[in-house]
Amino acid sequence: MYCVRCGVRLSDSEKVCPLCGTEVFHPRLRQPEAEPPFPAFQGQEFQPNPGGIRLIVTLSMLLAAMLCIVVDVSLHNHVLWAGYAAGAIGLIYVVGVLPGWFRKPNPVVFVPLGFLALGCYLLYIDLATGGRWFLSFAFPLVGIVGLLTEAVVTLCYYLRRGRLYVFGGAFLLLGGFMMLFELFAVITFGGKMFRWSLYPTGVFSAIGVFLLLVATIRPLRRVMHRLFFV
Amino acid sequence: MSEELKWMRLDNAAKIFPAIIRRNWNNVFRVSAVLTEPVDPEILQSAVEAVIPRFPSMAVRLRRGMFWYYLEQVPHAPQVRADGSYPMIQMNHQELRTCAFRILYYKNRVAAEFFHALTDGTGGMIFLKTLVAAYLSLRYDLKIQPGFGVLDLREPPRREELEDSFQRFAGTVAMSRKESNAYHLKGVPEPEGFRNLITGVVDTQQLKALAHQYKATVTAFLAAVMTETLIALQKERGGKQKSVKITIPVNLRRLFGSQTLRNFALTVNPGVDPRLGDYDLQELCTIIGRQLAIEVTPKLMASRIAANVNPEQRLIMKVMPLFVKNLAMRSVYRIVGESKGSLNISNLGFQKLPETMCPYVTRLDFIIGVQATYHNNCSVASYGNATTINMIRNIKESELERRFFSRLVELGLPVAIESNQRPLARR
Repeated sequence: MYCVRCGVRLSDSEKVCPLCGTEVFHPRLRQPEAEPPFPAFQGQEFQPNPGGIRLIVTLSMLLAAMLCIVVDVSLHNHVLWAGYAAGAIGLIYVVGVLPGWFRKPNPVVFVPLGFLALGCYLLYIDLATGGRWFLSFAFPLVGIVGLLTEAVVTLCYYLRRGRLYVFGGAFLLLGGFMMLFELFAVITFGGKMFRWSLYPTGVFSAIGVFLLLVATIRPLRRVMHRLFFV
Repeated sequence: MSEELKWMRLDNAAKIFPAIIRRNWNNVFRVSAVLTEPVDPEILQSAVEAVIPRFPSMAVRLRRGMFWYYLEQVPHAPQVRADGSYPMIQMNHQELRTCAFRILYYKNRVAAEFFHALTDGTGGMIFLKTLVAAYLSLRYDLKIQPGFGVLDLREPPRREELEDSFQRFAGTVAMSRKESNAYHLKGVPEPEGFRNLITGVVDTQQLKALAHQYKATVTAFLAAVMTETLIALQKERGGKQKSVKITIPVNLRRLFGSQTLRNFALTVNPGVDPRLGDYDLQELCTIIGRQLAIEVTPKLMASRIAANVNPEQRLIMKVMPLFVKNLAMRSVYRIVGESKGSLNISNLGFQKLPETMCPYVTRLDFIIGVQATYHNNCSVASYGNATTINMIRNIKESELERRFFSRLVELGLPVAIESNQRPLARR
């Protein structure tokens, strides 16, 4: 058929003239079916390369950190506050951007790396403020939370089943950790033991025990699944 | 020979292409052949495996060195794939690192898409013809005589095919590259990276006769019609009027007697300045024809080659780390790279095939991608009695195509149109 507006002969696969958008129609002729020259569009057919965006993010974060230091030094002749800002930017980078450089970032590697960066940042703050709370408070707490998270992540990453056991156990340990939290706080900053830690310990332990119960009792698991499926 | 050639430097024209890759754009072109029967992917795969040892400069991937990119032979043939809904789907860095060309099939059609750093349209067409010849001989047990662009698979790759002809034919005097900027058409970008392709098929003899009526070659005639269309569009859209110039790639092989299968083409930008007055089609044909005749001579081209080759010979350029070179090339390209022409018309010319193959091949196409900064491009190839004019764009508006093809119809040349347009809901 011909387009009445453009005067070109249209291939039978064209339902609308690609040049002017006029519909192909003739009251007496039926347009024959034909294969289009390309398959139908199925949604975005290429993955844009995110390397450029990552590079821009990296460079702008680097620039922001350097700018903080330059401004701080030119105002005070020494680093007063820029270290905290630059450290925070570095921490955000290690946690949020660094894994993106790898095609399949393994969380078993990057989770401890994130906690390591957090520990270093806290150590810097401790030294810069002369707080003397790092060794007796921040280090053990970050270390324990890091180990706990790493254990959960590793088990979830490599085990296909048994998530309920993993999380049940993790909540029980978290409950115990709350008491350690208070203990380290008491050692470092003074005060009395067992003033608040028993409450979160009780709640977390209850959640942990409940999850373990659900994991072991099959009918209960079915009921819970029916109630809470998404 | 292929054993020795594990890697090779990029030729002079190719050096720019890896540097200017963008996240959603790079310079890829496509050649395709339509056969009489549906393509069998397994036989096509065998044909690809048979053909690639003959093309060590094309069966390659792109790698980074410390100072330059280089091409490395692929260890095995790439898997042939089904075609997508538009030609030249973005080849990202990762794909280029694995294999910088693709072989695609859809119904009766075989297509090859090349990253432009590997070769130009002429080289790509030779690869395609050889591939189709290998496919047909496997499929129908034919004995195809080499010739007309079909290479002999039994002979090893020749040294002349692998040379960087730019280095060999560079003149001693470098010509200035200064030129006025050209008008670019604007439009609403097509989402999802989609490319709209409208193909106009015309009768070769009728097209030739029409061009001769205006005392022009086919390329000059099509460029003149395109210039006329662009001048009218620019005038209607108002604003500051700029020169309208068409970028025409010139195959330098015939000019210099080269047989290279790598890039060996330069572009010229004939056109007019609409501020000087109105032009009719005959005037445009004459002006563009003469501009081409003046520009496309071995002496002038040699001096243009020298202007491109000289900078890369300087020691300071050679030892500059690759990422610095990339930054420099990218910014130069952004400023001057695509500003001298309004769009490309790349004419691969009249293609012939060995007689045994002709009954099995119904059509040959050549499609170039859009540029990074402008949205329309046009490529032409002739085979048998049909000339296919492929107009590609990455914007929604088809106004340029409508006017261009309607004008050809108005001039008495029947045009048959096909496209890959999406259903209205998608647009």
